[in-house]
Amino acid sequence: MRFWPKEPFWQGVAVLVMAFLLIVFGIPYLPPLLGIPSAPIPNSVVVQYMLTALVGVLLWVSDNQTRWQQFKQPFHAVMVEERKKPIRMILLVLLPALIGFIAYGRVKPSLDAPPSFRAIHPAPPSSITFQGRTIEITGLENPLRTRGSLDDHYEEGKSIYYENCLACHGDLLDGLGHYSHGFNPTPLSFQDVGTIAQLAESFVFWRIAKGGVGLPNEGGPWNSAMPAWEEFLTEDEIWAVTIFLYEQAGKTPRTWEEHAEGGEH
Amino acid sequence: MGTRALVMAAYLLLPLPLAAQETDNENPAGKVVYDRWCAGCHGTDGRGEGPGALTMLPRPRDFTRALYQVRTTGSGELPTDDDIMHVINVGMPGTAMPGWEDLLSSQEREDLVTYLKSMSRFFNSSPPPAQLEFSNAPRVSDDRIAEGAEIYEQVECSKCHGRSGRADGPSAPTQKDDSDLPIYPANLTQNWRFNGGGTVEDIYRVLRTGLDGTPMPTFSDLIDAGVITDDQLWNLAHYVRSLSPEESPRIREVITAANVGDGEGGLPTSPTDERWETVDKFYIPLVGQIVVKPRWFNPRVQNLWVQALHDSADVAMLVSWSDPSRSPNEEWAPFAQQIVEAMGPKDEGSTWAPGAPDQLVVQFPLTLPTGMERPYFLQGDARRPAYLWSWRSDHDRAVEMVARGLGTGQEQPASSQQVSAEAAWADGEWRVLFRRSLATPDSTSDLQMPRATVVPVAFQAWDGNNGEAGNQAAVSTWYFLALEEPVPVTVLITPLAAFLLTAVLGLVVVTRAQRREKEIPGRN
Amino acid sequence: MLEISGNKGLVAFASLFALTAGCGGGEAGSGAAGGDQAAAGVVVEHPVDAATAGSVSGTVAFSGDVPTPAAIDMSDEPSCQEETGGTAVSESVLVGSEGGLANVFVYVKEGLDSSLEFPTGDPVVLDQKGCTYLPHVVGLSMGQQLTVRNSDEVLHNINATPTENRGFNRSQPQVGMEFETSFPTPEVMIPIRCDVHGWMDAYVGVTPHPYHAVSDANGVFAMDRLPPGDYLLEAWHELYGTTTQSVTVEQGGTTSVTFEFNEAMAGQPVPMGPVLVVDHTTGTMHRTIPRL
Repeated sequence: MRFWPKEPFWQGVAVLVMAFLLIVFGIPYLPPLLGIPSAPIPNSVVVQYMLTALVGVLLWVSDNQTRWQQFKQPFHAVMVEERKKPIRMILLVLLPALIGFIAYGRVKPSLDAPPSFRAIHPAPPSSITFQGRTIEITGLENPLRTRGSLDDHYEEGKSIYYENCLACHGDLLDGLGHYSHGFNPTPLSFQDVGTIAQLAESFVFWRIAKGGVGLPNEGGPWNSAMPAWEEFLTEDEIWAVTIFLYEQAGKTPRTWEEHAEGGEH
Repeated sequence: MGTRALVMAAYLLLPLPLAAQETDNENPAGKVVYDRWCAGCHGTDGRGEGPGALTMLPRPRDFTRALYQVRTTGSGELPTDDDIMHVINVGMPGTAMPGWEDLLSSQEREDLVTYLKSMSRFFNSSPPPAQLEFSNAPRVSDDRIAEGAEIYEQVECSKCHGRSGRADGPSAPTQKDDSDLPIYPANLTQNWRFNGGGTVEDIYRVLRTGLDGTPMPTFSDLIDAGVITDDQLWNLAHYVRSLSPEESPRIREVITAANVGDGEGGLPTSPTDERWETVDKFYIPLVGQIVVKPRWFNPRVQNLWVQALHDSADVAMLVSWSDPSRSPNEEWAPFAQQIVEAMGPKDEGSTWAPGAPDQLVVQFPLTLPTGMERPYFLQGDARRPAYLWSWRSDHDRAVEMVARGLGTGQEQPASSQQVSAEAAWADGEWRVLFRRSLATPDSTSDLQMPRATVVPVAFQAWDGNNGEAGNQAAVSTWYFLALEEPVPVTVLITPLAAFLLTAVLGLVVVTRAQRREKEIPGRN
Repeated sequence: MLEISGNKGLVAFASLFALTAGCGGGEAGSGAAGGDQAAAGVVVEHPVDAATAGSVSGTVAFSGDVPTPAAIDMSDEPSCQEETGGTAVSESVLVGSEGGLANVFVYVKEGLDSSLEFPTGDPVVLDQKGCTYLPHVVGLSMGQQLTVRNSDEVLHNINATPTENRGFNRSQPQVGMEFETSFPTPEVMIPIRCDVHGWMDAYVGVTPHPYHAVSDANGVFAMDRLPPGDYLLEAWHELYGTTTQSVTVEQGGTTSVTFEFNEAMAGQPVPMGPVLVVDHTTGTMHRTIPRL
């Protein structure tokens, strides 16, 4: 610990530096060494974490009067001591320059693509018009699960999937079919725990039947290449392909009982 | 890559309900894997006629014939187990076949190899295949590439692949695969789509083995007959590799158009102007229009390159793409007819007829969106119309249109046409140069092009000689066009104010501290 | 084992092949077990005594309007254009001045003692000259050597697409190049095409015995040294399909036979290779791979 500074100011600086290194480099790169997947932290989150660390440091230094005085000492010294005049002058130029630079970054014209905020799973309507008929979505379960043979429905769903869905959603149901590179946003992955695994089959039915153009505005209907499958498939065919999706991806749909218990969708 | 690995890792941990089926002689382990993951395209019986097959050209492999494209064995020979495993692992670029290395365990993949082999009697009745001896790749050099170019002509690769490598050779219109279905020679300028892989080693291997089931023959006989040496075949492979970019193109969402100002003779007026060579090229992949009827699963235009410039008054956009023929072309009419028959009018019927032209549509919103909302990516809808630049090879001009849905484009009256286009087709490539003034008189029917902000833009392309017409086209989703501007001085006001304010504040704080220090020295 | 259905006699021949192939083994690149008998030093005597044998001589007649052979445009290949004098036509239907149909493959389909073992016969040459296959139709016994030669100064690829044998797709970009191959399994017919020149095609019939022939420009063909007995002969044409005739061969005698083809037979499935039919009304696809 001989490198650990004695002055509270430098201790605070050291804590902030270490926190920064841990957040920016530690979190994304250390867990993979142990085989645990990880990912870089977005900049906005880094700022949040660093502010938290700063508040912590300030709480600690102001906790006791002596330490607070010691902590303030370097600031005071820079401001008044004659021999620290060069540092003072440099800071007086650098700090305003930094603020000016940040301000410039905010106001300069940007030629980036606009951010696209998009609700992947917007709230479903309570009922839809399907091929001219009204279908209640609320409380709706897949009728094929209680009719006929599940294996037959799986096979039928499989044929429909390979004839229609494969190009985008792929053999692996991972949304990386051979057409996926042509679309933005890319097709959904059903292997992702955030998609069909947390949805009821009625929701999936709605999304298949109405496609991208049937999304509410928050879903970005102008961007989605998902066709409105009611133009191509019958009601039973959509239910069959739904069974195939869950079965092939090894997922189970949420049911309406769970909804009732679990609250919001 | 990273996210994909993550997704894979996530669901490898999940049980596969159907994989738990019992296996026995009737149901070998490989069959369980095959029926679950492969039969959708290759068919339960392995004949390549699964439900997905009709959306693909070439069709999925027929395992009963034991003809494999990617091998390390001679033409017509069976593949080794490792050859079959290689394709299962990495898939076939440019086709619907994905790599399975991350999804299936090595045991499952080995079982699969055994099962695939059991589908053809050839594996039982023939001796085990002998691998060809491949030499190591010599280091690439300009000399080697130059000699490779000579060999390319000497052994007449250009007959099918064309002089430029864009699959535009004189024999291209009559190519058929082993199912008697039409097939294109590889576009040698796009190695990231080569079925057998795009490295120089892959190219050399394909030259040695051929691609069985396709018109691509083996060239090993040339070495045996002393026509060329093995080293020279490597030079040919290096030359073919050199026709593609060093790295596969990346997709960038924003197409930037630099401001050329008044200098250097203004905007280029010709699609073949040399100045385009130095302008940044943006890669736009296209896929078949499979959203509205009739869908199209066999788009010929796989990607476009877009370049743009402006001079504050006009914008110039050069769109170039590989197309082996200039449609319409009588020589290609039978080919197009076969494509239409093979791909089928899957939904309501093909609208293609002989004489169909090549077409390109550059699509913008009719009015610049204020929020995120844009017109529907397929030529808009009733609420948010799209504004199109539509070019056709048979008219060789572009017109402005307003569309409210795919194929509903209405040509604006001649008096209000503002866009001009000049097209050039050479060596299997179209280059179409669009020009329009940024601001036009008809502000209600033309998008007024703003500078220094991004404008949504999308593309649609048709190859008439590939049976494409109407809704059956290659399409993209939205990209953005940005007309760059030098940063105006006014932008600097805010940062300068911030700088001065902070500096003054700093000075005040320091001065006050020093004054107090003088009054009460040592006060802390 | 081999799955050859349809003809019991040939199943026996196929099994016979399986035995010989067992000793031969395939060579990488050769694509077949060609010339194995010679290599192994086994000389098979012709099992039929010429003195007791009979022969068949026949014609293939064509009735109806004779289609005008389509002209072939070889302008992309000046050397072939010159070789053929610029008058090349499709060989798909060639009818002689007296109504005989050329390029019909005739062979003994049934009736031969399946235990007979025949010598493989002399090598046969398939030449490429003037961007044309010479001959257009080739008959081979199984295992018989086929020499493929390029006499043109242009690139040809030789793409054989059998279903019962292994195919090959080899390139000959230089005049004088040649390779040898053979087909170990009977198959009627094996299409061969050149993908560089869309009009170039040839057909190879492989039988388990030497009793096959190809009709000449006047539709005439002959087979000799046949053991006396009753046979079923089949005639195959690339456009008009197949037709059969029963014949009786007597010792020392020559049996005459006439096969009839007519224009109405065009368009029916020609047994050969895979025939792919896509039915768009139902969205299904069937493929018929005819088996010998």
